[in-house]
Amino acid sequence: MGHTSPIQPKVTWVGYLSFFITIIFFSGLFGKSTEWWRVFDFTVLNGSFGQVNTAGDTVVSFRGTGGTGAKDGFLFALELAPSVILSLGIISITEGLGGLRAAQQLMTPILRPLLGIPGICSLALIANLQNTDAAAGMTKELAAEGVINEQERAVFAMFQTSGSALLTNYFSSGAALFAFLSVPVIMPLAVVLVFKFVGANMLRLWIAYIENRASKGSDNDNANA
Amino acid sequence: MTTQTHKNVMDLFTDGARRGFTIATTSLLPNVVMAFVIIQALKVTGLLEVVGKVCEPIMALWGLPGEAATVLLASVMSMGGGVGVCASLIMAGTLNGHDATVLLPAIYLMGNPVQNVGRCLGTAGVLPKYYPHIITICVVSALLSIWVMQLIV
Repeated sequence: MGHTSPIQPKVTWVGYLSFFITIIFFSGLFGKSTEWWRVFDFTVLNGSFGQVNTAGDTVVSFRGTGGTGAKDGFLFALELAPSVILSLGIISITEGLGGLRAAQQLMTPILRPLLGIPGICSLALIANLQNTDAAAGMTKELAAEGVINEQERAVFAMFQTSGSALLTNYFSSGAALFAFLSVPVIMPLAVVLVFKFVGANMLRLWIAYIENRASKGSDNDNANA
Repeated sequence: MTTQTHKNVMDLFTDGARRGFTIATTSLLPNVVMAFVIIQALKVTGLLEVVGKVCEPIMALWGLPGEAATVLLASVMSMGGGVGVCASLIMAGTLNGHDATVLLPAIYLMGNPVQNVGRCLGTAGVLPKYYPHIITICVVSALLSIWVMQLIV
């Protein structure tokens, strides 16, 4: 993950473009289309397995029907591998073209109102979408450098814990449920993202209204930065 | 199509694809097999039915069958486990696609506290006094998200 380096190359229009195309790609917007632009859809590029039975029989993929236990689980997981490979391949392109840095750039000015933390934290915030441990390490450094205080660290860690490594986890394990979803793949993902912010703000409110009120007078300087 | 990185788009894709293959085979597959075995064991012993009956009144608050509680319990331990349990319950005909859709965000929002207390909170150096709050909010967010999903699906 190249975005832990302190020197950040400028985000180009390619970065912004790849960021928005990736969102469209997973949104299912073009999935139902019959025109050429359905090439920009995850499920279209993911394709489907062929049938193993002859025409006329009930349609059966290589997993078969009526299996149980470890054997059924194994073939089911095997069936998921292409979705995981495709989606992480696409996300890797987005990252390489600067798409995640574009997202970071867009997040920077709104982090203070959204989470009450400085814009510089956007780097760790975007890293958290891909990797739990890397982002947690960056958060520790931010606190060690005095960029965020203990309470901000807790709020930021709250954001990171709920739905951690969201992109990686969602497009790997989540693929197990994609076939059963009654909504576009991106919809549950968006709900998780929104709730990450909601959860962090629950802690932010708790700290602001309950903890700070209780400690008022006894300790005026909670920031040990 | 070269950019500020030295890799072209095809290299970028294969890098990610390789990571995807590794995750699919070394992380996703063991989790899914484990979940399928757990559900098979619960079914064979009749415990799944018991769990379903016991949790039915609670899960009804979220418009879900009682067995859906096993998905939420598994997600406390691992996200992959939660998804795997959900998938195997669909295979068993216990849950349907709608149930899976409304449960999916909750599985991730739960934030698998069993692992993340160490991996996320510990690594970030969060004051331990905030651990209970953070875990509670994870559970609350997960449960709230099911209602939100029921509203919008």
